[in-house]
Amino acid sequence: MAENNSIRVRLVTPEKIFIDGTADSVSLPSASGYLEVLYAHAPLLAELGPGEVTMHGGDVGDRQLFVAQGFVEVLPDRVTILAESALPPGEIDVAEARHKLERGKKMWNDAGDEARRYDEANRVIREAEERIAAAERAGKSG
Amino acid sequence: MANVLDLRRRIRSVKNTRQITKAMKMVAAAKLRRSQERAFEARPYARMIASVLASLVRRIDIYDPDTGEAKHPLLEARLEKRVTVVMVTGDKGFAGAFNANVLKATHRFIDERTDVDVDLEIVGRKGIGVLRRSYAPASLAADGRFTQGPQPRNRGARVEITGEHAGMLDNLTFEKAACLADILVERYSSQETDAVYLVFNEFQSVISQRIVVERILPIVEVGKPDIAGAVELEREQREEIARAAQSAGVSLKAEDTRQADEEASKFGTAQVDYIYEQQPSELMGALLPRYIATQLFHAMLESVAAEHAARMTAMDAATNNASDMIDAYTLTMNRLRQAAITKEIIEIVSGAAAI
Repeated sequence: MAENNSIRVRLVTPEKIFIDGTADSVSLPSASGYLEVLYAHAPLLAELGPGEVTMHGGDVGDRQLFVAQGFVEVLPDRVTILAESALPPGEIDVAEARHKLERGKKMWNDAGDEARRYDEANRVIREAEERIAAAERAGKSG
Repeated sequence: MANVLDLRRRIRSVKNTRQITKAMKMVAAAKLRRSQERAFEARPYARMIASVLASLVRRIDIYDPDTGEAKHPLLEARLEKRVTVVMVTGDKGFAGAFNANVLKATHRFIDERTDVDVDLEIVGRKGIGVLRRSYAPASLAADGRFTQGPQPRNRGARVEITGEHAGMLDNLTFEKAACLADILVERYSSQETDAVYLVFNEFQSVISQRIVVERILPIVEVGKPDIAGAVELEREQREEIARAAQSAGVSLKAEDTRQADEEASKFGTAQVDYIYEQQPSELMGALLPRYIATQLFHAMLESVAAEHAARMTAMDAATNNASDMIDAYTLTMNRLRQAAITKEIIEIVSGAAAI
C-alpha cells in the first residue's frame, strides 16, 4: 500500500476527521515524551500528552498542530491520532492558557492530601504550559 | 355574524403567521442539515474510542482473578440504590412534542423505580423549567459538594435536581460534554451514585428516531449501548416528518457511513502485539472517562438534530394549518360578499317593481 515509505496519517477529533493523508514522518507527543514515527514503526498504542504533532512530506505537507489529551495508534504503515482538540499553534489563545495555568496552580494549592487531585492539577498545569510554549514558538518562527 | 372587513383582516393576520411559520420551518431545515452533518462527522472518533477500548478489554483481565472484583471502578456494577438521570431536552420550544416526550420518558423512569433515589442532571432550558416545578434542588454540603463518598446524603426528597445545564446545546463543544462527563464519572467512582442513565432523543436519520433511556454507567459492554427503554416513533409521525423533510428539501436517507465506520472500528484492534507505552490498565483508566464523554457528546449532538427535525415538522404542520384556515376564511368571505351583492340587487329590483 505504501509507496516510497510514506505512512498514512489520520488525526481525528470528536468533531470531525481533521487530517487524512500521507506523510513521510510524524512526530507526536506521547504522555511520557515525544516520539518520531517513520515507515515500519513497531505497533504501538499510547496516550497522548499535550504538545505538537509535526508532519513532514507526503500529501499533507509540513504541518504542525497542537493537540491535547488523546490516544495514538501506530501501525507499520499508518498512524491514527485521536485528539480531543487540535489547532495550529498560531491560533492558540495565550491569555486563556495563562488563565488555565493560574487555575491549575490554584488547584494544586487546594489539593490537600488527595493524590488524585494533585495529578489532575499537574495535568492542567502541564497542558497550559505546553500551550503557552507552543504559542511562543509559533510566534517566533512566524 | 362577521362582516367582510373582519374576515379580510383575519385572513391577513393568518397569512402573516403562515409566513413566520414557513420561515421557521426553513431555518429549522437548514439547521437540521448542519447538525446532521456534525453528528455524522463526529462518528469516527466515537467508533475509534469504542473499538480501542473493546480491544483493550479483551486483552487484559478486567476482573481480578483472585477476588473477582472489577479492576476499574467504572466497570463495577452495584446494586442500584441511588441513580443519576441525565435528561437532554432543548433550549427552545416550538418543536412539537419534542420536549414533552423526553419529559414523559423521564417521569415514567422515576415512577417505575419507587424505591430508588434519583438525582437529576438536566440539559436544556425547557427541561429545567418544567422539572423545577416538581422537584427541589439538592442541598450542597459545606464544602460545595453534594456528598462525600458512599454515605447517602441528607435528602429533602426522593428525587432531587443536582445539576442544570442551560445553553449547553447551542454551540455544543466536546469540552462542554466532557465537563459533565467528568462530574458523572467522579460521582460514580466515589460511589455517590450507583448508575447513570441518559434520556434523550436518538437520531439516526430523519425517519429513524426514538426516545431512548440508556445506561451509560457502569460500563457493561463496550461499544454496545445498554438500552433500558425506548419509544419508537409512530408510523403517522414518521410520515409527517418525511413529508415535512421533503417539502423543505432535506434528504431522508442517512448518509452511507458503513465504509467509514468499518475503517474507524479497526482502530487499536489490529491482530498484532502492541507496544504499550503505558500499562494497558493505565491506558484503560484514561480511556474509560473519555468513552463516557464521547457517549454524552454524541447523545447531545443527536438530540440537537432531533430537535431541529421536530421543529421543522411542527412548523410544517403549522404552515399547512394556516393555509387550510386561509382557504376556509376566503370561502366564507366570498360567500358573504356574494350574499350582500345579491341582497342589494333584490332590493333594487323589488324597489323598481314597486314603482
